[in-house]
Amino acid sequence: MVKKKVAKFLAFRYKILALIFIILAGGLVFLPKYKKHEGIKPEELLSNVINPERYISTDELAHKIIAKDPSIILVDVRSKEDYNNYTISNALNIPLSKLLDEESEMYLDQDQYDLVLFSNDNFYADQAWILCNRLGYNNIKVLDGGINQWFLTIINPPVPTENMAAVDFEKYTFRKAASMHFGVAYPEQIKVDKPVVVKKAAPKKVITIEKKKKAPVEGGC
Amino acid sequence: MGPLIPNGVIPGDWDSIIAILIGLVFGFVLEASGFSSSRKLAGVFYGYDFAVLKVFFTAALVALIGLYYIDYLGYADINLMYVHPTYLWGAIIGGAIMGVGFVAGGFCPGTSLCAVAIGKIDAIVYVIGIMIGVLIFSELFSFFQPLYEGSFMGNLTLMDSFGINPYWFIFIFTTLAIGIFALSDKIRERVKKIFY
Repeated sequence: MVKKKVAKFLAFRYKILALIFIILAGGLVFLPKYKKHEGIKPEELLSNVINPERYISTDELAHKIIAKDPSIILVDVRSKEDYNNYTISNALNIPLSKLLDEESEMYLDQDQYDLVLFSNDNFYADQAWILCNRLGYNNIKVLDGGINQWFLTIINPPVPTENMAAVDFEKYTFRKAASMHFGVAYPEQIKVDKPVVVKKAAPKKVITIEKKKKAPVEGGC
Repeated sequence: MGPLIPNGVIPGDWDSIIAILIGLVFGFVLEASGFSSSRKLAGVFYGYDFAVLKVFFTAALVALIGLYYIDYLGYADINLMYVHPTYLWGAIIGGAIMGVGFVAGGFCPGTSLCAVAIGKIDAIVYVIGIMIGVLIFSELFSFFQPLYEGSFMGNLTLMDSFGINPYWFIFIFTTLAIGIFALSDKIRERVKKIFY
């Protein structure tokens, strides 16, 4: 009895399958549409923005540069003139206006290296960071404080006062050494050798003793 | 999340291994459903068996509808999927040649290899023919090159070239396919039955 019912039902199997197909395809048409976000989701972007790990401190960066860390690429997002005036050694120049060009994509869209963006302050570097993050690029960091901070801490480190902690002194020593690496000279570093006064030895007086001339043999006796 | 390989969920090095696994399953299903018989394939052209048409059309539809649902639910991005590049005239002429070979030999390249696997002599001859064709093509490649690389239109889909909403396109395409299935059943009833 049951078998007969099943057989009766199965006689329509192709029609049922066709109906399922049409319902599924029609479902796609009638489903409410929503606008898809390009790139990463807003929640993800927000969590990336508030993550402090997106910053790299000047000390860390100085350490990496001095250790010749091959995994970092420095990117200067300021204008070309500023870049030509001064930049951190070995930095690339991708001005903010050219960030979305095809040429720069080659450098930015990769996951082998840690990219460090910097500008005079955080401002432009942060803008560049947001754009890159939105496009889904990986491993992008911002130099905390930019070149200004770089100057204040690494190139021209403040001398700790006597009532400061030992850590500050250690930091100062590191920064001072780092600044020397980047070409800053300190007065105490420059050893001025005192001119060694070489006493002139007084010329020896040569006293010539005249030998007595032998007197010619005289006939004696 | 998806597609898995472009997003790096599965490393790209697994490409060939996954291809081999899918190929094995595909070959098994082809053979199990009798597609390694040249009579079954030629049946589409003579009108006594439309299984091949129905199976491949249905497979395409299932994949199409399924992918768009997955895309809608956000599990995969349809824009990251691989789309085969279109070389218009090369595709038209190549398709015509393959169609003739299909009717004359009763195999498509995939099913011919299936049939070789179960030891059919006609399939072995067919595959040797394919190899000779490949040899001729590669020897005369400089002659065929303008056709082969000409009229390049980019990685187009039907939706791009018609410029209509993909969801409506899928709906129209599905109803069209079901109409074709019904029509093919009507034709099969008219044509003299052949047992093979």
